[in-house]
Amino acid sequence: MAELAIETEELEKPKIRPPEPGADFNLVEDVIYRRRSNRSYLKKQVPEYLLRRILEAGRFAPSAGNAQPWKFIVVQDQKMIAEMTQDVVKVCQMGKRFLDYLEPGKAALEGLTKVVQRLRKNEMHPIPLGAMFLIAEGKLGVWHGAPTVIPILVDRRAPGKPFVDVGIAGQNMVLTAHSLGLGTCWVSFIQPLEYFPKWRKKLGLRYPYKLVTSIALGYPKGNPDGYVNRETQAIDWFGEDGTFKVVY
Amino acid sequence: MPEFLTWKDRRKVESFRRIGEDLILGQVTIELDQCTGCGSCVNACPAASLEVKDKKAKMTEVFPMCFSCGNCTAICPENAITITRFIEFKRFYRYLDRGEPQRPRKF
Repeated sequence: MAELAIETEELEKPKIRPPEPGADFNLVEDVIYRRRSNRSYLKKQVPEYLLRRILEAGRFAPSAGNAQPWKFIVVQDQKMIAEMTQDVVKVCQMGKRFLDYLEPGKAALEGLTKVVQRLRKNEMHPIPLGAMFLIAEGKLGVWHGAPTVIPILVDRRAPGKPFVDVGIAGQNMVLTAHSLGLGTCWVSFIQPLEYFPKWRKKLGLRYPYKLVTSIALGYPKGNPDGYVNRETQAIDWFGEDGTFKVVY
Repeated sequence: MPEFLTWKDRRKVESFRRIGEDLILGQVTIELDQCTGCGSCVNACPAASLEVKDKKAKMTEVFPMCFSCGNCTAICPENAITITRFIEFKRFYRYLDRGEPQRPRKF
């Protein structure tokens, strides 16, 4: 048998005792399972102390080589959020003009759209593509009236996979926000702002920084958080005794 | 057995013109008796797939790009909404290695 990683004595006096099988979710798990993306907010601004609390949680996220390759920007200026929204909508409208083959008389665009989809398979996935059309038509908001927007930049020189580190830091902040009774939504539709020299200057989008995503933050309207059904996923499991199984 | 894409799948991107064949959209069912028409689900939907008509919520007829996120089921104060179909891509974007949907489970 393999040697235990921890001494028996240490196992008897743990700082946190792991729960018995079938026990209820603890507070952290409950926040994780209840977190839903929030798309309508009250006008009330998030006070600075709460926001500082949330940003602090991002600061203590794990990162490769402790390089902390993120930069957070806080935008609470409503005029600026409105302007950013306007410019994102502009880009979406332009995209729709060139890519929406569902419009009458534009069926011939389908081939081009699919080439673009294959070249940019993530940005042009059918779901964001559909969202782009909806934003262009004004049917879907960008930051959904959130009073605070946190754009997140990545330092591209960092070790390993800096984009992953940025995601981890962001999720730390999102979970903290939900545990404090606030609502959030990840909004990566901020990325088109990179195409505007105005925003490159204002948000400091110069090498090594790159705009990755943003988080909308505010007090939720109603109670958006709660459990949902979600597909299980196959997990390949190589057991201790050399067995293999797939669990869901 | 792990799932992979076939070469045939990889050659073809799902078309919005072939909904129901290449691309099966998500679907939610609304218990109309319980629905008060408050519209919170309409605001919560990331795909603008819901609308309130005659004081009842319903899915839009034109292109409801529902991807079964469940935000509407979570926000509904009357618990009137359930997901009845999960989104499915049949070609290049096919989701791999998925099982039956479930709530958060306790082990």
